[in-house]
Amino acid sequence: MTGFDQLLGGFAVALSWKGLLYCFIGCFWGTIVGVLPGLGPLAGMTLLLPLTFGLDPAIGIIMLTGIFYGAMYGGSTTSILVRIPGEAASVVTCIDGYEMARQGRAGPALMISAVGSFIGGTVSIVGLMLIAPPLAKVMIAIGPSVEVVLMLLALSVISVVSAGSRVKTVLMVALGLLLGSIGLDNLTGVARFTFGYTSMAGGLSFTSLAIGLFGISEILINLEKTDTIKAITPKLKDLVPRRKDLRDSAPAIGRASIIGFIFGIIPGVSHVVSTFVSYAVEKRFSAHPEEFGHGAIAGVAGPETANNAVTGTAMIPLLALGIPSIPATAILLSALTIHGVQPGPLLLTDHPEVFWSLVASMYIGNVILLILNLPLVGLFVNLLRIPYAWLVPIILIISVIGVYSVNFSAADIWFMVISGGAGYFLRKFGYEMAPLLLAFVLGDRLEASFRLALTMSGGSYATFADHASIIVLTSTLGLLLVVQALAWAFGYRKSVADEVEGA
Amino acid sequence: MSSDLDNPSGPGAGTLLLRPISARRGGMYVAGVLAATGLLFAWQASLIDFGDFALPGPGFFPLVLGVLVFVLSVVIGVEDWLGMGSQETIELGHRDVLIVFAALLAVPLLFEPLGAYVTLGLFGAVLLVLIARVSLVVAGLSAIIAMAVCWYFFQVALGLQLPIGPF
Repeated sequence: MTGFDQLLGGFAVALSWKGLLYCFIGCFWGTIVGVLPGLGPLAGMTLLLPLTFGLDPAIGIIMLTGIFYGAMYGGSTTSILVRIPGEAASVVTCIDGYEMARQGRAGPALMISAVGSFIGGTVSIVGLMLIAPPLAKVMIAIGPSVEVVLMLLALSVISVVSAGSRVKTVLMVALGLLLGSIGLDNLTGVARFTFGYTSMAGGLSFTSLAIGLFGISEILINLEKTDTIKAITPKLKDLVPRRKDLRDSAPAIGRASIIGFIFGIIPGVSHVVSTFVSYAVEKRFSAHPEEFGHGAIAGVAGPETANNAVTGTAMIPLLALGIPSIPATAILLSALTIHGVQPGPLLLTDHPEVFWSLVASMYIGNVILLILNLPLVGLFVNLLRIPYAWLVPIILIISVIGVYSVNFSAADIWFMVISGGAGYFLRKFGYEMAPLLLAFVLGDRLEASFRLALTMSGGSYATFADHASIIVLTSTLGLLLVVQALAWAFGYRKSVADEVEGA
Repeated sequence: MSSDLDNPSGPGAGTLLLRPISARRGGMYVAGVLAATGLLFAWQASLIDFGDFALPGPGFFPLVLGVLVFVLSVVIGVEDWLGMGSQETIELGHRDVLIVFAALLAVPLLFEPLGAYVTLGLFGAVLLVLIARVSLVVAGLSAIIAMAVCWYFFQVALGLQLPIGPF
C-alpha cells in the first residue's frame, strides 16, 4: 500500500460523519479555549481528554489535534480585537493586530491572520506527511542507546530555549523525571515512593498533573487579574483586505511558514518562540520597519502563520520518535497510550490508520477553521462577555470529572489540586511548567532505555557514543544550534517582548 | 465599534487580602521546599536497590535525580539570597484565589462519601456566591441546572459512572 493510498484511507476516516463531527467539535472548542484568556490548548485538550475514551483512537486524536490548532486560530482573535492574547503564541499579534483594529482595520487583520494560519498549517501538514514516515523507518533500526541520547537532547534543548532562568528550568526537568519515577519500576517491578498506597503503584496520573499545573494554576493566576476589557468588533463586510494588504502579507506568510516549520521540531515552547522570531524577521526584512508597532499587516501575518506552521511539525517528533516536543503533544501521547496506541517508529506500521487519518483531518480542520473563524468572529468575541467568575466553577467541575474518570480514583483529584497549588506558587516565582510536564512524560522511557542500553552493552557507557548515536546527536544538535543562532541574530524574543510591553 | 467587557471580578475586587512579599525571600522559601523534596526522594531512593554504575538498579535514577533536585534548589536559593538588594515583591493572598483553592481541597474529601453531583453542585454554588457574588437562590438554581447537564452529558450520553454517594 503506497503512502498515497494510505492518505486516501485517512481521508475516508476523516471525512466520515464521525470524523467530521469530532474534528468540528475539536476545532470549535479549540477556538473557544484560544479566545478565552486563561484557557489555552493544553487546558482545552486535557479537559476533553476523557471524552475520547469511548471513541476509536483515530477519531479521538482527530478531536484533540483539532483543539490544538483551533486554539492557535482562536488566540489571534482576542489579540487583534481586545489586545489580550488568548494564549501565549498570540502575544506578538497584539502589537500590530490591535493597532490595526484601532485604526478601523480589524477585518483585514483577522482575515490575513486566518489565511496565514491556514497556509502555515497546510505547509506544516505537508512537512509532517513527507518527513514522518521516512524518519520512522530510520528510527525503527535504532537501539535504546540512541533513544536515550535523543530524549536527553530534547530535554537539554527545552532548558536552552526556555524563557526563564536556565537553572530553574533544569530543576523543573529533574523534578519532572523524579515524579515520573513514582510507581512500579518498569524493569524489576519494585515499588518506588508509593508509601504503601496501591493507588500509586501505577504512578502519578498524567492528566491530574497536566490539568493541575496548567489548568488550575492558570485559573488561580487569572483570578488575580483585574483589567477591564475593551473589545473592537468588526462587521463581516469589513473583512476583505486591500490589495496592498495582500501584497505586504504574502512574503511574510511564506517566510513564517518556513520559520514555524523549522521551529516546530524544537522541544519546549517552539510555538511561542517561532512567533517572536517571525516578527523580528519581518521587521528586519521590511522596507518600512518604522510601521511595525503601528499597525503593519506583516506583523500580524508573520506570527500568526508561524504559530500554526508549528502544529504539524510538532507532531513529527511525537509520531515518528514517540517524543513529545511541546506540552500539547504530550497530551496526545497520553491519549494515544490510553487507547493502547504507542506513538513512535512503529506507529506507522502498527497503526497507520491513526497517522494518516490525523494527517487528513488536519487538512480538513484547517478548512473548517477558516470557514468557522471569520463569520463567527462576533460570537467568539462575545464569549469574553461571560464573567470569568462564572467560567471558573464550570471549568473546575469539568476538570474534576475529567481527572476522576481516567482511573475512577479520588486520589487523582487530590493530586490535581496539589499540582494546581504547587504550579501556582512555582509560576509566581518564575518556574516554568512545560519542562516539568515533558520530563514527566519522558521519565519512564528514558530510565528504561538507559538501563536497557547498559544491560545490552554489558555495562559500557560507550554505548551512548557509538556510531549511530553520534550521527543523530551531532546532526540534530547542529540543526538546533543553527536555529538558535538565527533566533538570537534576529532579536530572539527579548527585544520583541519589550515591544509588547511597550505597545 | 467598541464595547467594554467586564472582567472576572472587577477592578479592585479580592485585593484586600493581598500581601506583597519579598520576591527574594519568597524565592528562598520555594527553593527550600524544593530542596527538601529532593532530599526526601533521595533518602527514599537510597532504601531501594541502587545496583551499580554499570548495571543500575531501580534506586539509581531516583537517587541521582533527588540529589540533582536538591543541589539545583540550593543553587537557586543561594542566588536569591545573594540578590539582597532586590526590592521586587510578589503579591500573595488574593481573596478569590484562597476561596477557590480552599473549595478545591474540599472536593476530593467529599467526592466519594457525598457523591459527585452533590459535591460538585455544592462546590459550584459556593464559588458562585463567593466569587461571582450572586444570590444564594441564583447560585443554587445554577448549580442544580449545571449538575443536571453534567449528569446527562457524562452519565447518560458518555456512560460515565460517577460516585452517587448515599443517594
